[in-house]
Amino acid sequence: MTDKNGFFDLSKTSFTRRTALKGLAAGAGLAVAPGFVRYSQAQSSAPIKIGFQSHRTGIGAAYGRWYEKTTAAAVKAINDAGGINGRPVEVIIEDDGTDPGRGAEVVGKFATQHKTDIVYGTLFSHVVIGSAPAAGEAKIPYFVVSEGHHVASTKLNRYVFQPGITDVKSQIQSMAPWIAANAGKKVTQIFPDFAFGYDHRDYLPPALKAQGAEVIAQIAIPPTESSFTKYFPQIPAETEVIYHVMVGPAVLTFVKELGEFYGSNRPQLFGFIDSLEATDINSPGLEFLDGSHFWEGSPRYAQPDDSPAQKAYRAAVGIDDNGAAVGDPKDVSTAAHMFGCWETLYVVKKAMEDAGYKGPEDRTKLVEATEALTEFAEGPEHPQGPKTFNGKIHQCFGIQNISKVEGGRLNVVHKTKIEDGLYEPEGDYTTQAL
Amino acid sequence: MSGRTEGGAVERYRSSVEAFHFLGLVALLACFSSTPAFAHASDRGHVLLLPTGYYVAGGALAVAASFLVLALLPPDALDRFWRRHLPLVAFGDGARTIVSLISFAGFAILIAAGLLGSRDPLSNPLPLAIWTLLWVGLVLLHGLLGDLWSWLNPWYGPWRIASRVFGRGDGERQDPRLPQWLGYWPAFLLFFAFAWFELIDPAPDDPARLAWAAGLYWLLSFIAMLVFGYRDWSRHGEFLTVFFAMVARFAVVERNEEGRLNLCLPGTKLLSATPLPLSGIAFLLLTLSSVSFDGLSKTFFWLGLFGINPLEFPGRTAMISIGSFGLVLMFVLLAAVFALAVIFGQRLAGGKHSLSNAAGLLVWSIVPIALAYHFAHYLTALLVDGQYALAALSDPFALGWNLFGTADMPIEAGVAAGAGSAWRLWNLQAGIIIAGHMFAVLLAHGFAWRLHQLPARAALSQFPLTVLMIAYTVFGLWLLVTPTAG
Repeated sequence: MTDKNGFFDLSKTSFTRRTALKGLAAGAGLAVAPGFVRYSQAQSSAPIKIGFQSHRTGIGAAYGRWYEKTTAAAVKAINDAGGINGRPVEVIIEDDGTDPGRGAEVVGKFATQHKTDIVYGTLFSHVVIGSAPAAGEAKIPYFVVSEGHHVASTKLNRYVFQPGITDVKSQIQSMAPWIAANAGKKVTQIFPDFAFGYDHRDYLPPALKAQGAEVIAQIAIPPTESSFTKYFPQIPAETEVIYHVMVGPAVLTFVKELGEFYGSNRPQLFGFIDSLEATDINSPGLEFLDGSHFWEGSPRYAQPDDSPAQKAYRAAVGIDDNGAAVGDPKDVSTAAHMFGCWETLYVVKKAMEDAGYKGPEDRTKLVEATEALTEFAEGPEHPQGPKTFNGKIHQCFGIQNISKVEGGRLNVVHKTKIEDGLYEPEGDYTTQAL
Repeated sequence: MSGRTEGGAVERYRSSVEAFHFLGLVALLACFSSTPAFAHASDRGHVLLLPTGYYVAGGALAVAASFLVLALLPPDALDRFWRRHLPLVAFGDGARTIVSLISFAGFAILIAAGLLGSRDPLSNPLPLAIWTLLWVGLVLLHGLLGDLWSWLNPWYGPWRIASRVFGRGDGERQDPRLPQWLGYWPAFLLFFAFAWFELIDPAPDDPARLAWAAGLYWLLSFIAMLVFGYRDWSRHGEFLTVFFAMVARFAVVERNEEGRLNLCLPGTKLLSATPLPLSGIAFLLLTLSSVSFDGLSKTFFWLGLFGINPLEFPGRTAMISIGSFGLVLMFVLLAAVFALAVIFGQRLAGGKHSLSNAAGLLVWSIVPIALAYHFAHYLTALLVDGQYALAALSDPFALGWNLFGTADMPIEAGVAAGAGSAWRLWNLQAGIIIAGHMFAVLLAHGFAWRLHQLPARAALSQFPLTVLMIAYTVFGLWLLVTPTAG
């Protein structure tokens, strides 16, 4: 830091938003870093070290950038309010390249080289699945923000948690009551022909059936497809709702061609905003979406009834009323997902405080304290809404938003109940040895 | 960053330590004034909706038309026009040692930052300086301003000092110590290693990993310069010097042997180049093929060939063998097609020149294409990661410093996002790709005139090469519009 005369004044070095994230360099650097001197003097005030497994490069980079911003904002808020157990939080970012193989290496580096207290922040499912064994092996708590069902499936291990964002199974299931009651009873699904699409293919039909509606056709599109017109004749004429979850660069083409296929006389459209996350809803080619509905985890656009907590969260992260970066309106955020970073960090804070967490020797206590959590009230720490937490499957459950595209923005028209997304647990992590 | 298309920087010039990077800043700012784009999936999605087919057809036609027009022009008229220049100031080499020493100090600080600074590749200045400032910004600056690297490289100054300490005198003028048959092969192999590290290695952006790689490369090159002589190793072994010197021949500024700067038309110095040996031909083709492969390797087409789902890209660690194969394959294909074009051209024209002589001369026409690919391919990286570099350089060791007042600057990724940006970026990229190939045709025309005195024969000899250039134009544009992972 420089003082007003431009000279270095290390006595004034403090944890700014930037240092909180850039902070810990290599281990050797820490020992000589002037900014850390005062913490090394007393173990009790040494920082809590969070290893942020971040998609800084690779196909997840657009998400990674916003996960980083949200994390920085949450850490600043936590530190400004006194940190965790009176200790400042320090985040160390390691880039996993959105690469499962590299992800496992990064988890290992956090555990052995940086000696972080936890690992946190992974989004892409295949990276979570690739990294989870390394976390289990190192016995380091691994808090992911992925929305995949892999954590709740109990197929990972006892050290993996997803307490800040609901899983896709719950999300899909909780859409069914609204679709059946408001959009239509005969649903045709169009999805990409790989794991992401299979979640929707598998979880939606039983959920709709329970609501007296049905999936009448499922159209799987090869992931490398970039033109879709030839698939549209497969859509049954009696279709009342097209449920679409296409992802990748050809999404805009998909929407445009669907519009050309139907013209003005189309069935209802229901999609997941994953298709257009970080993409301006007013982009050319998306006109056909006007009047259609989307799932959103947290609303991209500011809503008239936003809670003070939601407003404070948006301001802290730096997104404007349109969900884009403040001062950079073309940089559309990943609002539907990134709130999970904020909320996960507050869950970590709560669990560490409950456990009286002091350091890596207390990691098992942290696991058990996290498993003992049951609910998170809506508020500054959980601005997206209230949640329950199932410690047996390490997964939270919360409300979902259904938003309508109208007037060039996404307006929330329905909020689901937590109960809409609950399902029978598929296992119990707590029976596994620590 | 690497995979650097998505994502691939800049800084402020405050202390002399940072002089090494000042030129990167100039490059970035020059580009800021022109265009934007950040190639994650949704931005390529905007490009997919553009009428790109017309551009591809138009580009191919423009390159073909330039061949036809040139075939009708008297070559000597063109040659006379092209060789015009405007003399500017003259200056000696006196400051070269100190500039290189400053650059070396900057490099050493960056290496230290790589080892001790932030682990985040977008906060640590080393990956941003190497992959964005150096490999993108400085390459483009060489294409514009000439051979800056002969002054800026971090070896010359230390080598001068070491030579004096060891009493080896001015080795720049010593007799060659590398066997002549080695040609550019050491540089070829080292460039291949560099390209492999950039494009295939699982984590070239990891600050510590890169610090070790770059630091070791500096050390080994320095030892090689002490053993083989600075002049010999930098001209035949140190791949950056070789590459920079080649692309600098396209620049609009040249410095002659008397030290006078001249303003000239782009490519003038290429026209007067002497034929490259086989190793030099291979080197130049490898530089183009590696950038081309960087683009190709992310396309749905390439990934589809190996059954890889681009929407669930398995990451670089899963792509090592496929990537290594592709990097070699791309070079072999380009070299084979280039060789065939030269062979057919010479057969058609029936000239008396040896094939190696013709190929060694005509390969220089690749330089503007390589520069155009470099620009088009890495532009988005330069625009976005350039901002990260500006911020990172203010706080190289993540200690909360703000050396240049840029540490907390907001990173505006929006400069490269959205339909409007995609449109402007695409136009700029397409324009540069097409212009690069038209320059290549122009240069090939000049070289053909040197090889074949009869205009008809000269034109005939270029025909196959022109077909290759049209094809490469189409390929280059296709790389920018086809769906890609990430």
